Amino acid sequence: MHRTVNWILMLLTLASAVALYVIKYDTRRLEARVLAQERTLEKLEIDVAVFEAERAYLARPERLEPLARERGLGPITTRQYLRVDADVQGAPARAAR
Amino acid sequence: MSAAVVIRSVEPEGSRQASRMSAERIRLRTLLTLGCVMACFVAIGGQLVRLAMRAGPDIKASLAEPLGRSWSRPDIVDRNGRLLATDIAVPSLYADPLLVLDLDEAVEKLASVLTGLDTAELRRSLADKSKRFVWIARGLSPRQAQRVHELGIPGLAFRSELKRAYPQGSLAGHLIGAVNVDNKGLAGIERTLDETGKVEPVQGTMRSPKPPLRLSLDIGVQHALAEELKRAVSHYAATAAAGLVLDARSGEIVGAVSLPESDPARPADWLDTTRRDRLSNGVYELGSIFKTITVAMALETGAATLDRLYDVRQGIAAGPYTIKDPYPQGRPLSVREIFLHSSNVGAGMLALEAGAERQRAFLGRLGLLEPMHTEAGPVAPPLLPKTWGKAETVTIGYGHGLSVAPLQFAVATAALLNGGEKITATVLAGERERVPQQRVVSSATSAKLREIMRLNVTHAAGTGRRAEVDGYRIGGKTGTAEMPGRGGYQEKAVISSFLGAFPMDAPRYVTLVLLFEPHSGEGAGDRITAGVNAAPTTARIVERIAPVLGVLPRLVETHLGDGGTFDALRQAQ
Repeated sequence: MHRTVNWILMLLTLASAVALYVIKYDTRRLEARVLAQERTLEKLEIDVAVFEAERAYLARPERLEPLARERGLGPITTRQYLRVDADVQGAPARAAR
Repeated sequence: MSAAVVIRSVEPEGSRQASRMSAERIRLRTLLTLGCVMACFVAIGGQLVRLAMRAGPDIKASLAEPLGRSWSRPDIVDRNGRLLATDIAVPSLYADPLLVLDLDEAVEKLASVLTGLDTAELRRSLADKSKRFVWIARGLSPRQAQRVHELGIPGLAFRSELKRAYPQGSLAGHLIGAVNVDNKGLAGIERTLDETGKVEPVQGTMRSPKPPLRLSLDIGVQHALAEELKRAVSHYAATAAAGLVLDARSGEIVGAVSLPESDPARPADWLDTTRRDRLSNGVYELGSIFKTITVAMALETGAATLDRLYDVRQGIAAGPYTIKDPYPQGRPLSVREIFLHSSNVGAGMLALEAGAERQRAFLGRLGLLEPMHTEAGPVAPPLLPKTWGKAETVTIGYGHGLSVAPLQFAVATAALLNGGEKITATVLAGERERVPQQRVVSSATSAKLREIMRLNVTHAAGTGRRAEVDGYRIGGKTGTAEMPGRGGYQEKAVISSFLGAFPMDAPRYVTLVLLFEPHSGEGAGDRITAGVNAAPTTARIVERIAPVLGVLPRLVETHLGDGGTFDALRQAQ
């Protein structure tokens, strides 16, 4: 009886060892995948940062102002404000002055 | 005869059989155990072969690779979230001297690609074969890295590092500060980030997970301010200029420019004294704009009213000198007129009437006698007179004898204009909770001051009339301060300044414009006074920034007759 139990326990131990071994290597493989994904994420974050910096560089007022002025745009003037109850007949002409 | 006794061990047949079976079992067990062990070895061997055949993760390491450490920093954005500073990954070049085969060729080729390389130092470093790691150039552009790569020099390698990028260039450079080659803050807000524990040491290029730091600056305002100041420097041939837009209620600095600018990407600019921040790193005798404080003091102490007359026809003695007005009116002036005509004698009389003690206490209450700090670092401490006698009381009354940083002065005057509450300057947006501040003057005094400042712009005799912009109700005070030089004050080298606020009926923003050593310009004739240069510069600035800041103009054309106190004053003239 004892011998049978021993055999079963030994087989269970061996099975556990094999299972542990497989899990360990699965874990390592998953860790490697996580690391790779983290690196990809890091790289993407850096790429996004570069794009954001480029966008900010392209949208800097120093660059946009001459472009806007070329198209006749500029800061709003006091003449372009109208009261809601004002006579709006002459508004476009007044704003264009 | 003795019989020989032969003793034989006699083994029973059953026992022999049992022994044979036991030996058989042992052999079987041994074989089984051996089989198990062999199976384990085969499994291990198989796994090794499997791992060897599978492509491993893309991790490459070199013994020569340094344990480099950089600092990841949070982004810096303006009050509307527009990017001012961020971390990006850049390649840095290093060498393993042991692997560099031809030293001369390597140095020569690198020098042809990387400008500014110290070839002598590089040759010395690479010749030392005991070292396994030498930096060659850090923070290269991708194009530079590609060109170095194409050289194909053995022993060279790249590693990625974080580097600070400033997409807005030198705009707001003085406030932002600078970092060193390791991405560590050296000055300005960048340094404050380090001091407040918002940066983290990192290996590689891991960006900071911290939220961006939101400054109170508005890039649109900052740009308009810088452009108009550059135009003024060019137009009036000034050596330098500075401008400030300050929220009069919260103390938030919405725009701050000092010319020549400082580029955050070039830390060496911080060593160039001509590029220092003139708003906070220099102290100046600001001249007549200081009369704003003197008049406020006189009104607050009750010693004077706006209509009280002072006989300013005679000069006023201040030590060995007699103070006189540059443009005497030849008649007694009221306090309102003293302000309007910027009478030195009148301001001196008001200061003398209050006395040295009260003057000192008043300036102390405004925070003008103590060092000041903002999140961007300390402000240059005020330069106080050694003794505070009658002469000093008079000269400080009209803006000489006490040197302060323009930022500190603007913060003090904002308190006089916002209804009388002291404010604390900040470069961070919305971080500070609005708490009741110390009252420095009564709301009545503040209202009177706002009235005469507006009058100074709307009245035909006002020195600040060129600062008027239709609809935005600007008020202000001009100042033309002779700069000290060898042998005394220099008549032709002045700091022209204009302290302004708008809209004057309930000031939201305080502006300060300073032009250093301006010369004549179109529309200014030979004059170098603030009324002909700093005042119109302020007008141009306010005209541009008021719409950006959401300040609506009063539509005077449709408001005739029901304009507020301040526009009504103008219509009455």
